[in-house]
Amino acid sequence: MEILVYGTINSVSLALMGLGFAMVYGISRVPNFAHGALYVICGFVTWTLFQKLGLPYFIAIILSLGVNGVLGMLMYRFVLIRVRGMNISEIIASYAIGLIILEGLRFGGFRGMTYTLPVFMEGSLMIGGVPVDYHRIVMTIIGILLVAGLWLFTHHTRIGLALQGMAQDERAALMLGIDSDFMAMLAMGFGAVLAGVAATLIMPLGNIVVESGYHVLIMSIAVCIVGGLGSWMGAFFAAFIIGFAQILTVVYIGSHFQMVVAILAIILTLILKPSGLFGQQKELEERV
Amino acid sequence: MLEAKELMVFYENMLALNNISIKCDDNQIVGVFGANSAGKSTLMYALSGIMLDIQKKERMAGGERISLTGDVLLNNKSIMDVKPSLRARAGIVLCPERRRLFKESSVIENLRIGGYLATKSQAKKTMEYIMEVFPALQTLRNRLGGFLSGGEQQMVAIGRALMAQPKVLLLDEPLLGLSPLMQATLIKATKAIQQETNISVIVAEQYARPVFPIVDYAYILENGAAVMEGTRDELMDNPDVKSAYFGVS
Repeated sequence: MEILVYGTINSVSLALMGLGFAMVYGISRVPNFAHGALYVICGFVTWTLFQKLGLPYFIAIILSLGVNGVLGMLMYRFVLIRVRGMNISEIIASYAIGLIILEGLRFGGFRGMTYTLPVFMEGSLMIGGVPVDYHRIVMTIIGILLVAGLWLFTHHTRIGLALQGMAQDERAALMLGIDSDFMAMLAMGFGAVLAGVAATLIMPLGNIVVESGYHVLIMSIAVCIVGGLGSWMGAFFAAFIIGFAQILTVVYIGSHFQMVVAILAIILTLILKPSGLFGQQKELEERV
Repeated sequence: MLEAKELMVFYENMLALNNISIKCDDNQIVGVFGANSAGKSTLMYALSGIMLDIQKKERMAGGERISLTGDVLLNNKSIMDVKPSLRARAGIVLCPERRRLFKESSVIENLRIGGYLATKSQAKKTMEYIMEVFPALQTLRNRLGGFLSGGEQQMVAIGRALMAQPKVLLLDEPLLGLSPLMQATLIKATKAIQQETNISVIVAEQYARPVFPIVDYAYILENGAAVMEGTRDELMDNPDVKSAYFGVS
């Protein structure tokens, strides 16, 4: 029971981390290595607005999500647009932006254990004999709602459908008047907002630390590779596989092997089925 | 309406389009015929602006250097430097070779993605119209694009292009790999669409025979150059065309 409950919670938090990365890659084919930095910066912006400027918690969250979205779009508009289509440069450029943000924050004095955000709801609940605090339940529910919302968005709105079209065949979308650079910028904004949502949901469970940026980046890459690059639904399912694998490892082997699971998942996927669970990168499979 | 003037396209040093001038007036169906590698698709890409995107992508990836010279005019205004998404907005919509459907989206979703530029009421009206022209799509509404037959895919591809509210519809090899029966259906539908929606159509095809009855004017390409042009009747009576493209001497 413990495994089931905490496995689900862990999986949803992994899915939250990975969704933004998967979405950006799926639509614009840009691997956004600044994803972790966007995650961390959203936490710090929320913290600043809430703790320093004294805004209400909810408004601080909404504002910082907005800031994150704009940041993501600016990142695309001014940097990544120039290297889009050059695979290695995309990684180097986005990782450089990530490093600037993360190390900049560290340099600016945002380190240590003093930065925390409050949970949404205090208290806990017993589920099948396992104590679970309300915040984790809220997080799980919002995570699942978010996936459902994303599905509805990509299948039933004009912009969502256009994004879907572009993800499948950019040039065919272009023929229908869907501007690929504008859509890629939007995707980047959405990805940044999703990173922010993950941050506001997960960060209250611990401290806001710069290091979590790297952790989130590795986890989201793991989730996306196992799920198949370019498929955010795949990322969602992969999050459950890795999430449960991690909890099983913690219970039966030891908590310090948690990270090994993610890396092992990447390696195994690349050896056995390089295109991942739902991947579209079939070329990769052919090459291997 | 849509016009190309002295258009030349080079892939590195290879000449793909050699000094081509073609013209498509309002409410006309113009045929562009030629063998493989005669430059039909290149012409279509140049007219729709996709060539600019190909050029950009090639430059990014360090691939072929593509250069374009000449001019493309829409309603006598040069659109040579206008990017493809804006050309589609201006009414030039390409229905590409090999259809390029969104394979993981259903027929309806394909059409709705095509309706990105349309207003809600336009999209609804066009959707109904497409179902009227291609009744076969009625029962396939929720089938994924990748699970359709070639003919069905072509119908969806034409429908998808219509959803973008074109003024000039560019059809690149719409009959590729289809049965004669399906070819006839599509050609009849193309004519009906052109007449009922008052658009212009430029259709590029390898085999002139099935398309010829509906074109008003046609160009024949060879090695990237337009070697012959004329109205349907003029070309019909030309002995060279007869022997080369209709298989009679």
